[in-house]
Amino acid sequence: MNYRRMQYCARCTYPFVTVNLAIDDEGVCASCRTAEEFDKLTPEFWAHRRAVFEKNVEAMRKDRRSDYDCIIPVSGGKDSYFQTHIMVKEYGLKPLLVTYHGNNYLPEGNYNRDRMREVFDCDHLVMGPSVEVLKKLNRLCFRKMGDMNWHAHCGIFTFPIQMAVKFDINLMVWGEIAWDISGMYEPDDFVEFSARVRHEHGLRGFEWYDMLNDPQEPLKENDLLWAKYPSDDQILKTGVRGLYIGNFFKWDPYKHTQLMKDLYGWKESERPFDRTYRRASNLDDRYENGIHDLLKFVKFGYGRGSDHSSKDVRTGYMTREEAIEMVRKYDHVVSDDLYYWLDYVNMTEEEFWRTADRFRDPRVWWIENGKWYKDNIWGDSSAYGEVHLSLEEQKRYQRG
Amino acid sequence: MKKQRVIPVLFLRNGFLVQSKQFKRYQNLGNPVTAVKRLSEWGSDELVYLDISRDDTYDMRRDDLGHANRSSVLDIIEDVSKHAFMPITVGGRIRTMRDIEQRLALGADKISINTQALDQPGFITEAAREFGAQCVVVSIDVRLEEDGVHRVRRDGNREATEWTAVEWAKRVEALGAGEILLNSIDRDGMKTGYDLPLLDAVSSAVRIPVIGCGGVGEWEHLAEGLRQTRVDAVAAGNIFHYSDQSVFLARKHLYGAGLNVRSPELLDI
Repeated sequence: MNYRRMQYCARCTYPFVTVNLAIDDEGVCASCRTAEEFDKLTPEFWAHRRAVFEKNVEAMRKDRRSDYDCIIPVSGGKDSYFQTHIMVKEYGLKPLLVTYHGNNYLPEGNYNRDRMREVFDCDHLVMGPSVEVLKKLNRLCFRKMGDMNWHAHCGIFTFPIQMAVKFDINLMVWGEIAWDISGMYEPDDFVEFSARVRHEHGLRGFEWYDMLNDPQEPLKENDLLWAKYPSDDQILKTGVRGLYIGNFFKWDPYKHTQLMKDLYGWKESERPFDRTYRRASNLDDRYENGIHDLLKFVKFGYGRGSDHSSKDVRTGYMTREEAIEMVRKYDHVVSDDLYYWLDYVNMTEEEFWRTADRFRDPRVWWIENGKWYKDNIWGDSSAYGEVHLSLEEQKRYQRG
Repeated sequence: MKKQRVIPVLFLRNGFLVQSKQFKRYQNLGNPVTAVKRLSEWGSDELVYLDISRDDTYDMRRDDLGHANRSSVLDIIEDVSKHAFMPITVGGRIRTMRDIEQRLALGADKISINTQALDQPGFITEAAREFGAQCVVVSIDVRLEEDGVHRVRRDGNREATEWTAVEWAKRVEALGAGEILLNSIDRDGMKTGYDLPLLDAVSSAVRIPVIGCGGVGEWEHLAEGLRQTRVDAVAAGNIFHYSDQSVFLARKHLYGAGLNVRSPELLDI
């Protein structure tokens, strides 16, 4: 194991350990480089992109066999509203809205989701797996991979294409291009939805069949029908492609949020989140800004404070100094949804920390005097709570 | 008549599958093996798997995934060959006969050498004699210089050589190479199409098969390579990772355009 000090991007607040992140010879992360590529883009460029999008959609409509023009996977969030706004209000198309409901919605999220049928005059299909199955998956995936939300990533990336195949709809319209997070791709790559990205980055390399035969959380194949990705044959028969609207329209979450509030009365969270300063993200899942994200901090030493502030540095809403303050304020906070979740899945707090600690990354964390330590972006290292591991398990984390 | 091949090229860099742009910008795409499984399912004719790491660190920096995080290139090659149901060529950082032997033992069908061939041209002959010419591919990285000459570059474009592309290609053929993988540095990741004059000059100058690579941004570029030059195979890196069923779509395009490639209808649809 290589114990170099934690390295951070010279421009934003992302640490080197960030999932998939490459940092170049100048100390700048791939995510900032990708943002640079996007910044160069002029209004003329986006006008041309819009034309490309229209040509694509037109071509797909020529080949369509369904009475629906496309599927839009929606959570009810600001981006879902924006996608639907473009397809319905700007192009006058007939989408089928499709939602995976993982039983974690916040009240405002419920309100926004259920109003989509009203404000967009659309048909809306909502799929919610059995709550008992979801509770089992919450516990099982928390123990297996340190993430109780695997079911959500799986459902969100599987159910829409299942429906595309079922209804013979050949176009899915996804929203943001998530790879600005790691700088995997650039606008010119015209990336489309793919099983590989879903499997690796959405589902962490696990599939429904990895969830069977667990003695503690018995699950059957027919508990997980919503999690099965269609075969290449089925996909090619339907000819379904998933386009990301973020490749064709300038993506500015703050502007979109304001627009959706003004046009449709979209609501942000009434109460602030414990772990981030933003109020308009992740209303479909109370844990995404909460303990799911806390586990990211437990594993890799960074969280939503870094995610959101890094994005805001890149889009010019914040300086790096301001961003570092956000990291200092939010990244480590143990949010109160922890107790909500422990109650939901019937687990003790002790078991939670014992399990979570097993996922600490030794590239980031070490143990001193019974406490977890890591390097900080503002220069020193400091303690972040008690250790809940056996002496044997602690050996990986001793640095001397 | 022998079918012309469509070959995805994968780049491994310090444990990650990456895309490459002009031999200087790299973006981590993820696990080094998952993509192989997909490319295999879509019926790629062959696969070229190149290790372009600068050092011996192979680490995806994640231990909470469903895939093993391998820390040595040999482990990765073993995983790759388990998932590949087509011939694979493994290259990058090969310096000795032992390196070749290890890779073949792990399931590589051919190996590709680049720097070592330039350093010690006799290595090509030695490898061909020991393992058979059919399994020795020489990879040549070429840049179009300002004076209009296609010159061979070495060490991942870090240094010049005195060779022109055509001279070096003829030389490696004479030394016993079985095949040439021709990369165009200035076209790498640019999506503007192949350097067709380069592909044509080299494939016309040698009798061994030439695989053209560098610059594919749409399937029609593959067709241009096959129509306008004498290459035996068209290769591309990044584009195969941008969409699902990519190899199928590429071959469908080429087959539909009347080119001499395998039918795309391998999938029973």
